[in-house]
Amino acid sequence: MSDDIRPEDLEKRQDGRNIDSRLGVLAGEGAQQRVKGIDEANPSRGLLRTRPSQSGVNAESPSYYGQPAIKEPVWIWSIPLYFYVGGVAGAASVLGAAADVFGGERMEGLGRRCRWVGTAGDIVSSGLLIYDLGRPTRFLNMLRVFRPTSPMSVGSWVLVGSGAMNTASLLFAGRRGWLGRAGEGAAIAAGLLGLPLAGYTAVLIANTAVPIWQATRKSLPLLFMSSAMAGAGSLMELLPHPKRDEKVLHLFSAMGKVGELLAGVAVQHEASRLEVLVRPLKHGPSGTLWKAAKVCTAASLALGVWPGRRKWMKVARALLGSAGALLTRFAVFRAGKVSASDPQTTFQPQRQGMGAAEVTGHTHASDGKPFKFPLPVLHEASALPRREIPAARHLESELGPEPPTAPTP
Amino acid sequence: MGQKGFFTDTTLCIGCKACEVACKQWNQLPDDGFQFTGMSYDNSGHLGSSTWRHVAFVERPVPSPTQNTAGMAFSWLMASDVCKHCQRAGCLEACPTGAIIRTEFDTVYVQPDVCNGCGYCVTACPFGVIDRREDDGRAWKCTLCYDRLGEDMTPACAKACPTASIQFGDVEELRERAHRRVEQLHEKGLDAAYLYGADAENQPGTGGLNAFFLLVDKPEVYNLPPDPVVPTMKGKDAWASMGWGALGMAVMAIGAVLLGREVAR
Ligand code: SF4
Ligand code: SF4
Repeated sequence: MSDDIRPEDLEKRQDGRNIDSRLGVLAGEGAQQRVKGIDEANPSRGLLRTRPSQSGVNAESPSYYGQPAIKEPVWIWSIPLYFYVGGVAGAASVLGAAADVFGGERMEGLGRRCRWVGTAGDIVSSGLLIYDLGRPTRFLNMLRVFRPTSPMSVGSWVLVGSGAMNTASLLFAGRRGWLGRAGEGAAIAAGLLGLPLAGYTAVLIANTAVPIWQATRKSLPLLFMSSAMAGAGSLMELLPHPKRDEKVLHLFSAMGKVGELLAGVAVQHEASRLEVLVRPLKHGPSGTLWKAAKVCTAASLALGVWPGRRKWMKVARALLGSAGALLTRFAVFRAGKVSASDPQTTFQPQRQGMGAAEVTGHTHASDGKPFKFPLPVLHEASALPRREIPAARHLESELGPEPPTAPTP
Repeated sequence: MGQKGFFTDTTLCIGCKACEVACKQWNQLPDDGFQFTGMSYDNSGHLGSSTWRHVAFVERPVPSPTQNTAGMAFSWLMASDVCKHCQRAGCLEACPTGAIIRTEFDTVYVQPDVCNGCGYCVTACPFGVIDRREDDGRAWKCTLCYDRLGEDMTPACAKACPTASIQFGDVEELRERAHRRVEQLHEKGLDAAYLYGADAENQPGTGGLNAFFLLVDKPEVYNLPPDPVVPTMKGKDAWASMGWGALGMAVMAIGAVLLGREVAR
């Protein structure tokens, strides 16, 4: 009934702050935050089954009721897609520059087509980034400063530079006079910028607190760069080319696929230092994506060396190669989200000396204790048998035996 | 202006949530949708874009020498968590727009009019403090009441705390006070008391926290990482690996072109 709506409820709905806006202005620091819509289900709802007695606070690897220790990346699908498109654009620019410089006259066409792909990729990449940011002006905001400690800042400049160079080379290369020379120079510059463009996205995610990304920081750039080669080569193989250029593209993408498979093994090996770290690559949706990516890449590679040159094989090879490159990014992205939401994935590596100790050589946690389990903090605690706790006994009989405390994704 | 910060002595916290409320009121933050987590008396769960102070309630089947629980093997740990205003702040080092700055009080501040909502700081904070609001798209976190500090006022949470669990002041002085408090607790038989993140020696991965804590159990129990590290400290490895990757890619591109030329001849 409408009578039931009290004025203060209306007020609340308006600004969510229980402040009567007629009595004062909103000028506080957080007043710029708009109100949440309807109450969302609390993100910790899924953990309702975690009872206090098994919250793990007295377990060997405790956590705060299984709550995530760090924030999950807020990015959406457009970001892994950007990782793919940006990688393709970068690798295509690199191949284009190589064809220009080392290919001689007959490979001019390949260089030009590569630059087309590079330019298109740069534009689509910017579009995807803007989609994630919400407003085009926000992309310009990225170029407000240059900050070497932030791979995202470095990457934004690389992306813009690569877009500019690719476009300039498309416009001017092949013309007469100094304009033509400038265009050729721009093509080479685009090729040089293509290298970081294909790789910086891996540095970007490795340079975060997300455990699996941080732990695989040495192999992730290799994975992303080789997969960029595979992706660019496969995508361009779908376009018509003269025989000679086809050979180049095939070689380029095949090398990329080999690299992608090898780097994939390296990533998994690097993550395998701890069971909790590698878990997202083995189980759940992210594990499936990871396996699918490998299968696609391997199948594409196999089709490439298979005897016989039939049309469908070529198309299937290119499609599988693209799928492999795309799935790789999505798998890594999903795995990051999973690893951020499990507190043990944050805590355990740090306890094992893979936190600051890894770079500073400082082998004591901030509580002054060495990184080793079991870590006796409250001595009386470990000596106490659970039975002596009336509340816990009550819970136990009420709710049955304890399931394992470590949450599985 | 000096280094200003918080010393949060969790042994004094009674879980009254006055800090959470004072913070919301002063900063005029919207509510979080009154819901209990269902696991304890915690109803805000974790720090977020509209929760800049969060009181953790840890229920332990362990007695504590400083708590009288009528002989029951049971004790409460309560801790008011906040942005740590790290000496080496992951959020600040990651922000590509320069929206996050270090103020004259040595605190870490997000300028809302510059932030463009890229969300990179969210993944760069090793404590999971800063967050992006879905509707707003920008990142928010504790400002250590930047607007109050400028007027020589105490931050709202510290002012509201009835037990002096949250203490505000010059970081140097707070450290001294904290060390004395740890000794005092040890004398009382609470051997487990220690400081979390008091200085660079104590927490090398962040260079020390301007908002540090006195804890009596493992950091994880309070949802704090045991050995956090600002991600940029490890960034060098990734950049170096990218350099090798770039070299390989260039060689392979040139190789493909040269081989292709050979074959075509
Ligand atoms: S705790 Fe997180 S949000 Fe706060 S200053 Fe440190 S890195 Fe930034
Ligand atoms: S979301 Fe805002 S504050 Fe955070 S890194 Fe991006 S621009 Fe900086």
